[in-house]
Amino acid sequence: MISFTADYCIAVFISTLGVLQFAFSLGGLRGLLFFKSAVVARTLGLATAILGFALFFGTGTRNINDYEGGLDAPDQALFFSLSALAAFATTILISSLVNYRMKAEDFKPDAGLDALRDSNYASALVGSLMYWRSNWRTLTKRYFSG
Amino acid sequence: MANPDETLFLWINGLVGAMPIVDGAAQIAASDYLTPAILAFALIALWFGERDAEVRLRQQVGVFVALSSMGLSGLVVFILNMFYFRPRPFVDLDVNLLFYQPTDSSFPANSAAAAFGMAFGIWGVNRRLGWFAIGVAGLYGLARVYAGVHYPLDILAGAAIAAVVVFAVFRISDLVMPILAAIIKVARILRLA
Repeated sequence: MISFTADYCIAVFISTLGVLQFAFSLGGLRGLLFFKSAVVARTLGLATAILGFALFFGTGTRNINDYEGGLDAPDQALFFSLSALAAFATTILISSLVNYRMKAEDFKPDAGLDALRDSNYASALVGSLMYWRSNWRTLTKRYFSG
Repeated sequence: MANPDETLFLWINGLVGAMPIVDGAAQIAASDYLTPAILAFALIALWFGERDAEVRLRQQVGVFVALSSMGLSGLVVFILNMFYFRPRPFVDLDVNLLFYQPTDSSFPANSAAAAFGMAFGIWGVNRRLGWFAIGVAGLYGLARVYAGVHYPLDILAGAAIAAVVVFAVFRISDLVMPILAAIIKVARILRLA
């Protein structure tokens, strides 16, 4: 059970790293990419996404009932979410280090993901939170009122 | 007169053994782990993979619809199974089984309802990705019939339940839009949406 779950988590983690790079490239979110080239990001992203599950299915029997060592649906959803979140956190960390020169300039709260076109995640998040901290009264009223 | 559902099942499942490579592919495609992961990855692409902010917002609402539809489709199947139980094909027929023996009801297919719930939800906001997701869910259903754990009608019923649920959830999503919009706005502050 533990080994099967660990294998599943590793597969999801690896595949999610790839899917995220592919999706960030499609969305033009350069601040979250490990490689600046869209072709490299998409090719490596797709390859990594396939690699994760190729490893999973290539290293053992995976059609196992949940009471015989497999995962039932709630456990699968839980471990998928945790592994995907870990992959996202890793992506944020690595991309913020790789793109440390990309500093945030757009502190508008509406920018959301668009701020990550020209800024790394750490810088964009700190900028956004500092902007909210200094303008929270007016921004909260304006931002959440329709 | 032969039951057409059983006849079609026996024809599809009867192909097992003709080409070992197809059997291997069907075992992977029918697995509990691959298709749900691919569809979840499609949701990640839907959330992050759009440049236009307005389209992205619509797609992000679609992610909530797809996830809700997946859960609600499973709930509908669970409730139906409280009143109706259909044994799996391998219980009544001589089957080429490529899968473990599930003990829950064969009809409607819970796995198909959940997969099509996500796929139709994606289709509602992004046709291209949606067709891909429907194709993946369709292959999943076909692989489960091929592997001997579902009749074709089980899969069709699961897909039909998902279609109705997705339609209802899209309708209801207008009512809960202020909540979804607030969640997405908070996510924007955190640069996550």
